[in-house]
Amino acid sequence: MDPKFIRNFSIIAHIDHGKSTLADQLLLKSGTITQREFRAQILDDLDIERERGITVKARSVTINWNQDGQVYELNLIDTPGHVDFHYEVNRSLAACEGALLLIDAFQGVQAQTVANAFAAIAVNLEIIPVVNKIDLPVIRVDEVLEEVETVLGLDATDALRVSAKVGLNIESVFEAIVKKIPPPKGTPDAPLKALVFDSKYDNYRGVITYVRIFDGSVKKGDKVRFMREQVVNEVLEIGQFRPNMVACDELGPGQVGYILTGLKELSKVTVGDTVTLFHNPAAEPLPGYQKPKQMVFCGMFPIDATDFEALREELQKLSMNDSSFSFVPETSDALGFGFRCGFLGMLHMEIVQQRLEKEQDMDLIQTAPNVTYQIVKRDGGIMTIDNPQDVPDAGIIEEFREPIAKVSYIVPSQHVGTIMQLCQDRRGIYRSTEYLGPTRAQIIYELPLSEIVYDMYDKLKSVTSGYGTMDYEIIGFAAADLVKMDILVKGSRVDALSTIVHRSNAERRGRALVKRLKEEISKHQFEIAIQAAIGSRVIARETISALSKNVTAKCYGGDITRKRKLLQKQKEGKKRMKQFGEVEIPQKAFLTVLESAKDD
Amino acid sequence: MPPQALYVHVPFCLHHCGYCDFTLVANRDHLIPQYLEMLGRELNHYCREFTHRRKITTLFIGGGTPTHLSPKDLQTIFELIGRHFELSDDGEFSIEANPDGLCDERLSVLEANGINRLSLGVQSFDDAVLKTLERKHSAAEATETIARASNFIPNVSVDLIFGVPGQGLESWQQTLEHLTQLPVKHISTYGLTYEQGTPFYRQEKSGVLKRMPDDLERDMYLAAMSHLESRGFEHYEVSNFGLPGYQCRHNNVYWNADEYYAFGPGAARYIDGIRSTNARSVVKWLNSWNKGEPCEEDREQLTTEEKAREAIMLSLRRMAGLHVASFEARFQLSLQDLAEEEIRQHVEDGLLEYSGECLRLTQNGLLIADSVVSDFL
Repeated sequence: MDPKFIRNFSIIAHIDHGKSTLADQLLLKSGTITQREFRAQILDDLDIERERGITVKARSVTINWNQDGQVYELNLIDTPGHVDFHYEVNRSLAACEGALLLIDAFQGVQAQTVANAFAAIAVNLEIIPVVNKIDLPVIRVDEVLEEVETVLGLDATDALRVSAKVGLNIESVFEAIVKKIPPPKGTPDAPLKALVFDSKYDNYRGVITYVRIFDGSVKKGDKVRFMREQVVNEVLEIGQFRPNMVACDELGPGQVGYILTGLKELSKVTVGDTVTLFHNPAAEPLPGYQKPKQMVFCGMFPIDATDFEALREELQKLSMNDSSFSFVPETSDALGFGFRCGFLGMLHMEIVQQRLEKEQDMDLIQTAPNVTYQIVKRDGGIMTIDNPQDVPDAGIIEEFREPIAKVSYIVPSQHVGTIMQLCQDRRGIYRSTEYLGPTRAQIIYELPLSEIVYDMYDKLKSVTSGYGTMDYEIIGFAAADLVKMDILVKGSRVDALSTIVHRSNAERRGRALVKRLKEEISKHQFEIAIQAAIGSRVIARETISALSKNVTAKCYGGDITRKRKLLQKQKEGKKRMKQFGEVEIPQKAFLTVLESAKDD
Repeated sequence: MPPQALYVHVPFCLHHCGYCDFTLVANRDHLIPQYLEMLGRELNHYCREFTHRRKITTLFIGGGTPTHLSPKDLQTIFELIGRHFELSDDGEFSIEANPDGLCDERLSVLEANGINRLSLGVQSFDDAVLKTLERKHSAAEATETIARASNFIPNVSVDLIFGVPGQGLESWQQTLEHLTQLPVKHISTYGLTYEQGTPFYRQEKSGVLKRMPDDLERDMYLAAMSHLESRGFEHYEVSNFGLPGYQCRHNNVYWNADEYYAFGPGAARYIDGIRSTNARSVVKWLNSWNKGEPCEEDREQLTTEEKAREAIMLSLRRMAGLHVASFEARFQLSLQDLAEEEIRQHVEDGLLEYSGECLRLTQNGLLIADSVVSDFL
């Protein structure tokens, strides 16, 4: 295939601006799929993505398009649209020469529109602004285009106006792709350089490696080397996604497709790696990407200890298809054996949890999430803290550091004050405000990640009646006056309830937390003190009074069976909780840490 | 040895009180003849292998309201029982009754047929509380009935209910005081329970009835204990108090985990190591015996360990507690092996204690007996 007739592109957009619908239309109009094969949002092949309307994993599809008598091969590389998945956006963009910037004709430029557009600009992609949903009764196309020019600095004169939903002006999209996006460069005779931009595991075929060829070509039977992982394998099959996997003889410069080598371990295929030929290798690999960093962690513990191995298997299965998710065994005095799991962000965490719940039937206790911290020790060493339990004695801590995110909000102008107040209350550092037009503004703050992960998104949505959007990226770590707050139940520390908080918030958080716990833990046969403490200093306390009366006087005549069953039921109720010392703590209590933080 | 105790359930009432979840029907008196016929069939079925009338030492006719039956029907019940069982000379033969309608004629029939213990469902001497409980008698009627009935049957026991919405501690104390002036030998005090399926349960859920705070209910229970004990009543089981020599022998059979016969809808029996309960629906029970078929709904044969655990549950309800040596001899196992951790923990928390050769609830343990006892199951 002559690279002249290849176009590689992504669609980038804020969530819900119609990315998947446009992708579907491109497939339909080009005949890549028939109406009969059409399923809504075909690219989102994970159920969870469909349920939530969010694309998590990058996927690609090859489309043939006849433009003025010439057949072009268009490769659409899908990108995820949520803040947690920046990393996946970047790796998709690296495989393209252009991008369709899709913007809702009413909502206009939103936080992730900006973030994604800047990511595309950073890698020099040709950007085609596309205003979507022009079939809606209320639209403001002119203002939206003005925002594109002022906020993003893009020329919006030739912006396309489409409705993906009703299939309006889709041809103009194809035409713009062909005419505006540059064809891939690349030398057919050079040694093979293929960028791995995604991978997934298939039970029958092993690892499926998604590649974009930059130089050279690859054929079935070639011996290939993954340059970073130093893995050598024979190519069993190559092909393209149309959208199902269709084998082909060769993939040349500019083309996008898959390689099967029969490899069984997904971990051996690193996204960002370069595939070359074993016998005629490239001198240098393509620039790779940074590995994604897990920023949010939580513990997952089976209620029934015998489920531990089953949980491990499930987590392993999940991580096979999601290299950005990590887990390591963890032991808690309170909860026993479990795993500390790392996620890119809160949404990522929720998605993984939902998958776990879907795919297996076990009772799990999940601890409140926390971000990752750094501790500089007196001896100069640096510790990474993914778990509040690992915080060392205050005596050896020189500096406690927390991750800082640059957060960009786009909100209606009248909410600027509210958002600033929200950020100020959360230890935010103001950076800038920019008006996108008469009615909307972009505000930039630097905020501790811990202050945004729990509920910033929900808060933003509620104070702006749903009109505000946000995006964030981690910009580094900064020293802060952080302390570990412990929870003591009847005098014993419950490690799984420990949290890291800013000293200035500690008392308020502590009070809120013990109050919540008091509601969650039911009365026992004795009095239970619930305390929040920093080191040995108690900062908040609540007492659950002892059960004062629990005796069913009746013995139900001679119906002992009934009596016994009633009492057994009472006991079963206790069993569903986690016994900690003598105190039974219900599953829900372990999430009160999160809830009480939200109460703030 | 065959069971020495017999229970007969009579499921008829004048009115179905909102808190009651025993097997009963109200305003279905037309079913009484059929009931008597089917009771006869059931007795014939379970007693078919008897070669002679078996002697029983305790009988308990409960309900419902057994004395809702006419004197003639009551007579029939005794005849049906008498075909297969013989009351021993020194036995305890009880019947439940409500103050309303307990006329001299009925009392005569009871007395003539060997009934020597009367269990009266008085519940309260506060008319407001009686109204809440939907009882059909007044405090005055109850007082009158107790005095009159004791002339026929001197051993009178009275049931009381505390923890009733709107009931104050003072009302409860007055009820206790009033009752102990009357000729009664035995008193049962029950905390009101909102049983699933009853109108009270739904009304409590929907907020129409306001559940009494635990602390007040506990204070009422404590008040009953101190008042009744001061009047010479011995607190011998969670909800039972008797003058010396007047413990309920029939109920002691249950708490000893001994065996007993039982007849009538919803009745639970324990024979040959098997516990079984008749259909709780009166109509179902009638239809079943109409076809000549037994209708046991729950039937279980417990393992030795389960029996032992059940025995712990039952005997801890008695103030005397669990006699460790007898328990171990009876079940051929060690109490320590069975429940070492539970006992240690509860003793440490002051809920259980050893007293002589027995393990028993402390006063604190008694207040939350369900919670303590369930740990052994």
